[in-house]
Amino acid sequence: MGFILDGLDAEAYDRQYDDRQLLRRIIGYFQPELRRMLLVAFTTLLDTLVRAAVPIVISRAVDEVSQTQSESLILTYGLLVAGLGASAWLFNLIRRSLTGEAVGNVVLKIREDAFDAVMKRDLSFYDQFPSGKIVSRVTSDTQAFSTVVTLTIDLISQLVLVGALLIYLFFVDAVLALVVLGMVPLIVGTALAFRKIARFTVQHSRRVRAEVSALVQETVAGISVAKTFRQEHAIYADFLKLNRRAFWINLRMGIVFSGIFPLLALIVAFAMAAVVYFGGLRVQLGALSAGDWYLFAQVVALIWFPLTSIASFWNQFQLGLASGERVFALIDSEPRVVQHDKRVLPHIRGEIAFKHVHFSYTDKERVLENFSLHIRPGETVALVGHTGAGKSSIGKLIARFYEFQAGSITIDGVDIRALDLSAYRAQLGVVTQAPFLFDGTVRENIRYGKAGASDAEVERAARQVGNGDWLKSLSDGLDTEVGERGSNLSMGQRQLVALARVMLQNPAIFILDEATASVDPLTETLIQEGLDAIMKGRTSIVIAHRLSTVRHADRIIVLKKGQIIEEGNHEELLRRGGHYAELYNTYFRHQSLEYIEAQRKPDVTPAN
Amino acid sequence: MLNAAKSEFSVANAYRYDRRSPSRWLIAHVMRYRWFFLATLLFYIGTYAAYTASEALIGQAIGTVIEPDSLALLPTIALSILGLKLLDAVLSLLGVLAIEVIAQRMEVDSREELYANLLGKSQTFHNQQRVGDIMARATEDVQQLNGMINPGVAITLESIVGIAVPLVFIAMLRLELLLVPVVFIAAYLIAVVGYVRRLNPVVRRQREQFGKMNANLEESISGIEVVKASAQEAFERRKFRIAASLFRDFFVRQGYIEARYLPLLFFGIALGLAFMHGLLLYQQGLLRLGDVVALMGIMGVLRWPTLASFFSISLIQAGLEGGRRIVNILNTETELDQNSGGYKQPMRGEIAFENVSFAYGRVHALRNITFSIRQGQTVAIVGQTGSGKSTLTQLINRTYDVTGGRVLIDGVDVRDWDLDALRSQIGKIEQDVFLFSRSIAENIAFGVPDATQEQIEEAARMAQAHDFIMSFKDGYRTLVGERGVTLSGGQRQRIAIARAFLSNPRILILDDSTSAIDSATEDEIQRAIRQVQQGRTTLLITHRLSQIRWADMILVLDGGELVACGAHEELLRRSPHYRRIFARYDVALPPLEPVPIN
Repeated sequence: MGFILDGLDAEAYDRQYDDRQLLRRIIGYFQPELRRMLLVAFTTLLDTLVRAAVPIVISRAVDEVSQTQSESLILTYGLLVAGLGASAWLFNLIRRSLTGEAVGNVVLKIREDAFDAVMKRDLSFYDQFPSGKIVSRVTSDTQAFSTVVTLTIDLISQLVLVGALLIYLFFVDAVLALVVLGMVPLIVGTALAFRKIARFTVQHSRRVRAEVSALVQETVAGISVAKTFRQEHAIYADFLKLNRRAFWINLRMGIVFSGIFPLLALIVAFAMAAVVYFGGLRVQLGALSAGDWYLFAQVVALIWFPLTSIASFWNQFQLGLASGERVFALIDSEPRVVQHDKRVLPHIRGEIAFKHVHFSYTDKERVLENFSLHIRPGETVALVGHTGAGKSSIGKLIARFYEFQAGSITIDGVDIRALDLSAYRAQLGVVTQAPFLFDGTVRENIRYGKAGASDAEVERAARQVGNGDWLKSLSDGLDTEVGERGSNLSMGQRQLVALARVMLQNPAIFILDEATASVDPLTETLIQEGLDAIMKGRTSIVIAHRLSTVRHADRIIVLKKGQIIEEGNHEELLRRGGHYAELYNTYFRHQSLEYIEAQRKPDVTPAN
Repeated sequence: MLNAAKSEFSVANAYRYDRRSPSRWLIAHVMRYRWFFLATLLFYIGTYAAYTASEALIGQAIGTVIEPDSLALLPTIALSILGLKLLDAVLSLLGVLAIEVIAQRMEVDSREELYANLLGKSQTFHNQQRVGDIMARATEDVQQLNGMINPGVAITLESIVGIAVPLVFIAMLRLELLLVPVVFIAAYLIAVVGYVRRLNPVVRRQREQFGKMNANLEESISGIEVVKASAQEAFERRKFRIAASLFRDFFVRQGYIEARYLPLLFFGIALGLAFMHGLLLYQQGLLRLGDVVALMGIMGVLRWPTLASFFSISLIQAGLEGGRRIVNILNTETELDQNSGGYKQPMRGEIAFENVSFAYGRVHALRNITFSIRQGQTVAIVGQTGSGKSTLTQLINRTYDVTGGRVLIDGVDVRDWDLDALRSQIGKIEQDVFLFSRSIAENIAFGVPDATQEQIEEAARMAQAHDFIMSFKDGYRTLVGERGVTLSGGQRQRIAIARAFLSNPRILILDDSTSAIDSATEDEIQRAIRQVQQGRTTLLITHRLSQIRWADMILVLDGGELVACGAHEELLRRSPHYRRIFARYDVALPPLEPVPIN
């Protein structure tokens, strides 16, 4: 029983499809599988007919054999029942194999489309939606959708079986058929009521399980604190209380779930007794043969299980459709960054000009307003300002990660919207605040900057950063596995890898969002040396958090609320005593040598 | 018990399970509730007897109603069928209730056992395990034990009973009739084993592939800025397509295997053959027609037990697997013990390392380290990531034991100290300060549960934490963590420092890698750290140059070796490593002196 309740929250890019649109969309994906689906439908029909025939044939046989006891008749009927069983298996085999192939292909196609759609989005999309949710749309929602398709095909075949048997029964004896039909609403109703109770207990159980998990997680993560302070007993007592509560809640859920089938069996018991009694009466009256009477008893036993699945189906079906809807919404949403031409600049000099640019991430607040800035080729520009002043946005606009609303940005005099994005970005080196590494070796991560670079090239690039001294601190040098998102490396080491990546790429323009995370002094020195090497001779835009960077920049741009309010070099600006001086006192003062020298520990004699 | 003696924590009067092997351990857990188990078995036998009897009765009824003048018997027959069916339902309900209790107890008991055991493990053990792994044991694996009992064992029991009982009924009709069902069951058993053997690897690989596809995608999306900036969309696309098509292949292959489920075929054929057999016996006058119909009814009973049992095999396998992993943890020896009865004196705080080496398995983390620290000194440890800074401090409070040489505190080898006395006098502030989901006050007073509110506030003041704590609406009663406020790294650190003031250790190890974004916060942190150093031996692993600059002694580590040791001025003259740090401050450095060879 699939209680797929998670991940149902709507997102801003969700749109409502009416049922016809949705259906057309789904059918569209099944179009290439048309022949398979027709065969599935055909074998489903055959499978159903054959399965319905088994009890009918048995009942006929009982009637006929009781009249004429011929051996050949017995052999024929016996083989017929066996043959029907075997062919039911065969049809089912074909049906299920083909369904598997068709659903597999359709889901693959939907996944590919969804992935392509995600890759086309600009960064505003990723800012808005957490990566986990996007991933779940591409993989889990498509999975849920496929489950429902399979489930639907199964359910249809079961319903056809129940329907075929009931119709036959009506032809045989309408009165008795009504008795059987009477149990249908009872069973469906009970199953529906059960779902309500079940959902309630499942929710409770899930909640308590989450609590237990959280508690265990906290203990394991904080075990050293608990051990240092010898608080194990207190923690154990907390756990015990929760664990015991979890027992009762889970027991309740277990009982509800295990109890449903015996409960439904009670209803079937009454239906069966009724069929036996009334059927017997009608046999006595001669209105019914003994064989048909048997058939009725068989049908009661046969149909109640499919009936329970109808109750749970509708909900699952809707959830599956909703999953489909979510995936299609993802595929259909439009990227905001749109290029109107594909111009390729073979050798970018690195002249960047912002002219009267207006930019905002959302409709609510403007980040840059009428912003103009000219950066000369080869210049190192440091951007400083409080959080929200618009520093990072400038870098992201140059990388064309976002669309701006008005004005123009030109690279070497060419409109940035007219560039071929891949060719342009290949000449752009970007290092983000928390550099992202892919699972794999250091070597592979450096090579990401220039696909197809030789080992020697990768090594040379690594050596150009901090004289290559950082490689010694890696257990296997360039072949060290960085782990998921680079978790095996320290923050500082990840930055060094990112710098080597840019070094290999040898871009015309370098954009650096300096890390605020602290790094040990030795690694910090290596990073600084690496940055000096990269910035030499190329246009560099640095969102600066380090004192040494601003001091060495050709030009410091001081930003406040999306406007340039001062510019110049460190000494000039500090002398001026304006906004830069304030920023210096807030963010950079404690990085200065004067500050370090002033932190002398007062002389203290050891306490007694 | 050996492992109880080695534990750092134990529960009085805990139920003891046999842990010699995973299966013994599982059986021991079930045997704790043996009466429930026996009840389940009896209820199942009862329910299948009632069920089979009712099916047989329906068949017999046909024979009866064909006879004239049997009308009077009809109500009796119908009522008997109703009675038997009701008995079937009620007994089956009781059966599942009994086994459900065992299943739920299994989960809760084993988690309790594991939890107590984990608390008793040494820090070495915990450092070697990933949090995620332990979590999986304590949540998923114990849940699998639950699922192994119900529906796993429950279905298996039901299958055995549900096959045996109908066979007895068939034998009572006529012994020869057993021929077809017995051959069927034999063929079924062989087929089902082959089926599971083919299916399991495909299901497993499909699941793994789904995980890989997810991880791939997650990575592409998390790293989207790099992907786009490096113009590598096509590469990521290819990676995803390969992963997604592989998943499709396993999905389709699983469909093929499931479609070829042979027992279903066997059952269909067996039904026909049993029917033929019954009719032939009827023709020979050895069986009544009602018995033939009864036979078909009883054959129908066999359907569910045989078709469902393969489902239970994988559940039981998963449970055994989970049980094995849990027992592995339970039986892992923890290297350290409480050493109660060891050296137990107030600590002065002198530390000496004598030719200390340490290796994690085969990887050498520290080699031949020798230095000594006087009481009350502040020592800064400098080195790149992986140079062994943390490991060095972890040898002091016996998080790990040395693999060569000795660590002495107050002249006594740490291995001769009483563990409680040693650890309670050594404070440690981790890089990622861990706070429990409790109030701030409780977190500060974690080591000293009977501290008064005044003492807590005093400690917070000295740690420069009082002001920001008071800025919260609930002050010291503010909850920390998921359900409460999220504290910044600097704030967490100051709470930990407050904790240290309260527990007042003689030696304090401070892994200080938090960064302050602004100079004002930096001022506060500096003040707190300087304050806490007073009157105790302090080891700092720090990124703060100002702390390093003014330490009494600086240890420079490189690749697990101590490459330099001394105060600031001395190192500027002697250590090229250390000079490099200050070189970028454009200051005039003293000339480099050759390193003396000792």
